[in-house]
Amino acid sequence: MTQTTLTASKMPAPRSSFKNWIGVVPFFLFAILFIFLPSARLFIGSFTDNDGRFTFANLIELFTQPYILNSYLLSIRISAVTALGGGIFGFLLAYSVTVGGLPKPLRSALITFSGVASNFAGVPLAFAFVATLGRTGFVTAILKNVFGVDMYQAGFNLYSFLGLSLTYMYFQFPLMVLIMAPALDGLKREWREAAENLGANSMQYWLRIAMPVLLPSILGSMILLFGNAFGAYATAYALTGGRLPIITIQIGAQVRGDVLHNPGLGNAMAIGMVFIMAISLAGYSWLQAKTERWLK
Amino acid sequence: MTHLSLTNVSKHFGDFTAVRDFNLDVKKGEFVSFLGPSGCGKTTTLRMIAGFETPSTGSIAIESVDITNKAPNQRNVGMVFQAYALFPNMTVAQNIGFGLRVRKEKESDIKDRVAEMLAIINLEKKADSYPYQLSGGQMQRVALARALAIRPEVLLLDEPLSALDAKIRVALRAEIRAIQQKLGITAIYVTHDQEEALSLSDRIVVMREGEMDQVGTPFEIYNFPTTVFVANFVGTLNTANAEVVDPAKGLINMDGVQFASATDLKDRKKGDKVRVAIRPERFNFVSQEKKANIVDCTIENITFLGSIVRIQVKIGNTKFYMDTFNNPFLELPRIGAKDQVTCSREAVLVLND
Repeated sequence: MTQTTLTASKMPAPRSSFKNWIGVVPFFLFAILFIFLPSARLFIGSFTDNDGRFTFANLIELFTQPYILNSYLLSIRISAVTALGGGIFGFLLAYSVTVGGLPKPLRSALITFSGVASNFAGVPLAFAFVATLGRTGFVTAILKNVFGVDMYQAGFNLYSFLGLSLTYMYFQFPLMVLIMAPALDGLKREWREAAENLGANSMQYWLRIAMPVLLPSILGSMILLFGNAFGAYATAYALTGGRLPIITIQIGAQVRGDVLHNPGLGNAMAIGMVFIMAISLAGYSWLQAKTERWLK
Repeated sequence: MTHLSLTNVSKHFGDFTAVRDFNLDVKKGEFVSFLGPSGCGKTTTLRMIAGFETPSTGSIAIESVDITNKAPNQRNVGMVFQAYALFPNMTVAQNIGFGLRVRKEKESDIKDRVAEMLAIINLEKKADSYPYQLSGGQMQRVALARALAIRPEVLLLDEPLSALDAKIRVALRAEIRAIQQKLGITAIYVTHDQEEALSLSDRIVVMREGEMDQVGTPFEIYNFPTTVFVANFVGTLNTANAEVVDPAKGLINMDGVQFASATDLKDRKKGDKVRVAIRPERFNFVSQEKKANIVDCTIENITFLGSIVRIQVKIGNTKFYMDTFNNPFLELPRIGAKDQVTCSREAVLVLND
């Protein structure tokens, strides 16, 4: 009798019928039309001058024009500040309603608010801040007329770096809450009890166990917050009208063509943004690999 | 001498009483199990010893030092959790050394102690592995080593084997007992598994609805349960209603069938209704052995359980189980056949409520 062995090469391959691909067609279409094609257009455009000829001039300008470098720097600063501020504030809020043991209805209310606020940006957000913290905003007026505190005389200006940062924080911290609440829920009660049982105090537990466990989530959230602020355009434009020349406003000026018109340079600046985000993500991946080495 | 002492300990959660008037003295090196169904208060009692719950009333002392209000991190009590609770961001060695590290012991001492613990649990080769790289049994051994590394006064084990499969459970419980005896550490073990409690413990505390039902050695708990609950919870048991016929002679009547019991019935009088219990393995067929009680029966059912054969017999109108060792060379009785069974006076237990 002959014994037949079914080897891997002889085993029937899983059938990949054409029908199985139909479900993902819309996604690929979307990705091609709105991610890959625009990215390719951006890349090619950054090597093209106004006459359609190949050039390195746009890329060279990124490194030689002080106003472009300053815009990148400003965008990076504002993104880093709001990522850090929103991150810390959001983390503390998420902590309070999860591990902190505040009443459950408060948690539901905060999560619902965060879901809405994290998507509240652009012209409506700018208008909301002008109406509240602008020179004639009602919070400004209440502080001045009721409490005798004139914020603007004290140096505050909504249309400054601080004002824009404050406005960005409105959608930054809720995003952090949304991401961190489930991560904090994932901290097992037994870890804390085991640590205490072994003699650790609260600080030792947080420094040696909880924070290392949460670090990948915190880092990932911060990068997301950084990207969220780095790519923002409408909020800053509607609030400051271009007085704070962050990089997205500079790109808008080159592409829109009211005063300046060099789409190639705009494309190159956008490529610069992609590059900066790529560096951030690479940094995140590196940190994640270091902090998550204990995960599967 | 008493090492761990719980005196009049109660715990209330609002209107609910989880533990009521719990009194227990545990000797140094003793292995005591809290046995009972879910919600009987055994884990709450353990958590009060650990300091994770504060007793509503009563006191807990180790070596006569009152620890009732001490924080968990000041009690020097080691605990092994049901779900291991290993720190996922630390290797096996780091987990074991954690307690020593937070106590700021010398690094060389920590290294030596970790090596010693790894040798005890036989996981030297896994020192640098992370918890996710271990099996359930290995994780629980690491958790045990971590709890023991701090040289605790008392070791608490909260259903440590319930998440493991049957074979590993049996192997690991023997390992836990061997380590406990080797180190001479006082241990409190919470379980709902009677076999675990019987095989591991020096003494068992059977708990029901927050109260201690019976405290005794495994031998006492199994062979001489004092309440219906203990009798039913520990091992398989036949129970039936009966009536006292002659208290002085220990005679009782079950459905017209008279049994003699060794239980002291002096406090009962003729005609008292009582609950009677007989372990299945205490019955024998008359042809094998003759004891004080010889009664007629009918074979109702036969179930093969591997090493034993469980036979259901009808005595009077009551059905009883009897267990006999599986002997492939002996013929089993036929279902429906009439026979006689026997059991000793000591086998017939008259229970309290």
